[in-house]
Amino acid sequence: MEITRHDIVIVGGGGAGLRAAIEAAENNPTASIALVSKVYPMRSHTVSAEGGAAAVAREDDNLELHGFDTVKGSDFLGDQDAIQYFVQEAPKELALLENWGCPFSRNEDGSVATRAFGGMTTKRTWYATDKIGFHMLHALFQQSMRYKNIVRYDEFFVSKLLVDGGICRGVAALDIRTGEYEAIVGRAVILTTGGGGKIFPFTTNGTIKTGDGMALAYRAGVPLKDMEFVQYHPTGLPGTGILITEATRGEGGYLRNSKGERFLVDYDYGVGNKAELGPRDMISRAIVQEIEAGRGLSGPYGDYVHLDLTHLGADTINAKLPFVRELAKTYVGVDPVTDPIPIRPVVHYMMGGVDTDIHGATEMPGLYAAGETACVSINGANRLGSNSLTECLVFGAAAARHAMEFSQGSSNGSDAALLAQVEEEAGRVENLRGRKKGGEKISEIRRELNAVMESGYGVYRQQDTMQSGVGAVAQLRGRVADLRLEDDSKVFNTELITALELANMVEVAEALAVSAAHRKESRGAHTCRDFTTRDDENYLYHTMAYHDPAGPRLGKKDVVLGKWEPEERKY
Amino acid sequence: MSSTNTGEAIAPTQKTIIITRFDPDKDEVPRKQEYSVPCEDNWKVLDAVNFIKDELDATVSHRWSCRMAVCGSCGMMVNGEPKLTCKTSLKEYGDRVDIEPLANFPIVRDLVVELDGFMHKFEAVKPWIKRAKEKAEDKAALHDTKLTFSQSAEELGNFKQFSMCINCMLCYSACPVVANEPDFLGPAAIALGHRYNMDSRDEGNAERNEIFRGEGTVFSCSFANECSEVCPKNVDPAAAVNQAKFEAVIDWAKGLVLPSPSSGGSN
Amino acid sequence: MAGPAHPHSMAPPKPGRTRAAPPQMPASWWNTSRMRTYLLFDATGIIYLLVGFVAIRMIRALAEGAGAWQAAMQSLENPIYIGFHLLSLISVIFVAVRFFRLFPKAQPPSIGPLKPPPGPVIHAALYAVWIGVTVVMSLALAGVIF
Repeated sequence: MEITRHDIVIVGGGGAGLRAAIEAAENNPTASIALVSKVYPMRSHTVSAEGGAAAVAREDDNLELHGFDTVKGSDFLGDQDAIQYFVQEAPKELALLENWGCPFSRNEDGSVATRAFGGMTTKRTWYATDKIGFHMLHALFQQSMRYKNIVRYDEFFVSKLLVDGGICRGVAALDIRTGEYEAIVGRAVILTTGGGGKIFPFTTNGTIKTGDGMALAYRAGVPLKDMEFVQYHPTGLPGTGILITEATRGEGGYLRNSKGERFLVDYDYGVGNKAELGPRDMISRAIVQEIEAGRGLSGPYGDYVHLDLTHLGADTINAKLPFVRELAKTYVGVDPVTDPIPIRPVVHYMMGGVDTDIHGATEMPGLYAAGETACVSINGANRLGSNSLTECLVFGAAAARHAMEFSQGSSNGSDAALLAQVEEEAGRVENLRGRKKGGEKISEIRRELNAVMESGYGVYRQQDTMQSGVGAVAQLRGRVADLRLEDDSKVFNTELITALELANMVEVAEALAVSAAHRKESRGAHTCRDFTTRDDENYLYHTMAYHDPAGPRLGKKDVVLGKWEPEERKY
Repeated sequence: MSSTNTGEAIAPTQKTIIITRFDPDKDEVPRKQEYSVPCEDNWKVLDAVNFIKDELDATVSHRWSCRMAVCGSCGMMVNGEPKLTCKTSLKEYGDRVDIEPLANFPIVRDLVVELDGFMHKFEAVKPWIKRAKEKAEDKAALHDTKLTFSQSAEELGNFKQFSMCINCMLCYSACPVVANEPDFLGPAAIALGHRYNMDSRDEGNAERNEIFRGEGTVFSCSFANECSEVCPKNVDPAAAVNQAKFEAVIDWAKGLVLPSPSSGGSN
Repeated sequence: MAGPAHPHSMAPPKPGRTRAAPPQMPASWWNTSRMRTYLLFDATGIIYLLVGFVAIRMIRALAEGAGAWQAAMQSLENPIYIGFHLLSLISVIFVAVRFFRLFPKAQPPSIGPLKPPPGPVIHAALYAVWIGVTVVMSLALAGVIF
């Protein structure tokens, strides 16, 4: 086995990873940038984002307003210095994306159009009909092809970070095609692998969202921050969990209960006259409460409410929401022009992730993270819609700049030590391949994990189920070590990859479970029935979860406050 | 992980799903294997394949991800037709459903095909915004929101449809020319190149048209229109390819008469 | 799958890192209704080739003088020839209908400042011109005009 050496290694080829690669390649034409992804980059889950990406664009908007909306949306857990940096860089990043060919929708005068979005005081969400993630990912991927110094490793699964002398120096990657391990080495590593929504059964996430990067950092000793904060997107299709964008509400859609009432207006759910454009955590809670009050509808995939677009008219829907129309017809057999769409809250995004600072740097020198994988934190306890795509661009670029700077000052480390780590990892995984002497089945453990997460860590949580969930997940982690694998082939063995992903999923789930159980308050997306109010005196801090064989150890990190003091969060 | 409707639950029906198997270390040539699967009424074809992998035979390898027809991973041949399996309802089919890897691609393993051939054609059309002269000194200006390009709805409409391609490659499986001419760039790659040619912000037409006239010649297309028939996103690559033929000829004619435009950019 | 496609169809630029099975085409690739239509469309070329031979034969007869011409015209009344010409008329109509359907979408969005008329207008215009030319030529051949 040989080492392939680069300047930096980026793990994950979605919005943040591609942006990082482009930034590094553009500014350092002689540097070699490795982009390692377990799927071809255009399959990354960024592709499914629909609504838009936020940045100040209009005359009636300013950075301070965007900053305040984000801080308030985060239920005052967001770090205000990072948020300030984020809103400042956002317009520049989106302008760059437009220059790279992203086909944004336009105003009459030819400028980029913006739409209203949840929790935003004014229209600042740049959009491309209702497929922004698709257009952004493809624009970035196609732009990245200009740079011959971006070396892509398509369909390589990173299962371990290589650390030498306390510094992260590369990755051990399984070539999915051949089944062989490769040592892909650089003087800095950026993790941009997305979140871990697949630990839940009902999620907008695709099958590849298994928290791989989070688990890699976590096992290497880097803490995961704010893992308990999981965003439930209010409008997902029952059963599949397929995303129906917030833009449906941005364009004027209504949420109705079984009586046809616009319950966000008729009852008090704290969203004031923002109604359907309130923040996601509040809307999701409202929907669950409506269903618990008996005003939901029932179907083969559980209870749901209606998203009514019928009053928008076919012209608006075809012009602004054509993908939504197609999804509703294909996956629930409903035409939104004539009938309301059945929806329910589904897991969508993890506010938590690998703890980084404002530059994307983790506490391990040489290791960076950006995008959903990271927790800077700009989203705090609840993310505003359309902030995350911009987050990928802003912090993907920032992490690349700082990773390149670090790599220029760092040394190569010991080739022999790194190679030994890769060979050890290769041996471990080889023993897993086709491991016929085991008692556990992948699909069974996954189902049980999903069930535990759904019952213990939903929109509304309870101390007793959260505590029992911690024990249940710990048990599952033990059982993952005894998996039985049937496929012993080397070439494109997807069962092996699924097993490695499952191991990552239980680690991420355990960090989430322990973090959630300890937070005895309700803040943002973490709503605890036993402690229904926000407790700034005792809980205004970021939860840090550290990996430990006996179960995650918890720590605290201060929230960086700024010009906005925590106040009551009412809209 | 099945799809949903909100009607009454219907009992599953048993179907025979036939999957093409191929492991280069064990099989000389691809073979077929049959599975009996209890199919829910509202399943897509992908749900059946996932069921087989999860419950019946973990050694089946296939690609999939988003399950909402936007990532393009799950293209396969279903009863001889290229389909996006996460979008194709299983109840359109009878008792026997034959699932094979995409036609016209080398087969890596089971339902997984070799994609690097496509990636090579993809990159060959230079699918990015090319400005005739890169204004390097204006990089800071690029970051000003007031300096996004202005583009009218009409200009956007000229190429919007062709930008909807999810790279699922069903068109390559349907195209009779791809099956016979390895150098042909193919529907998706040409449509993507044409998308950039038609984008008012791009100035790279001359270079792309040269590529179109050259080895990967667009003129190999015989307008069978099969690509547009199978495209799950209504990209209409046949329209793109045939428009590209016209544009490539006009460009060649212009080149005979006018001096060639300066192309100062590096790539 | 039965038939092999071209062995290098969609081949990667460098040989794959593992052995891949050669590309295949479905056994009944030629048998879907759309493919049959397309193959028929292309196969009509044979008919036009034969029409060409008939035309050459007629021209040679013309060159050989009035008697040869009369004899050639007489032979065209043979039912086999009539059947053949009927077949070629059907082929032309079939090809024209398919081509007219596809032609509008192959028009570029603009040529400089000029924009093509909308698809349905082009479609209708093609039929109008075709029928118009057919009528004019029929009248000319029948001796009514010119």
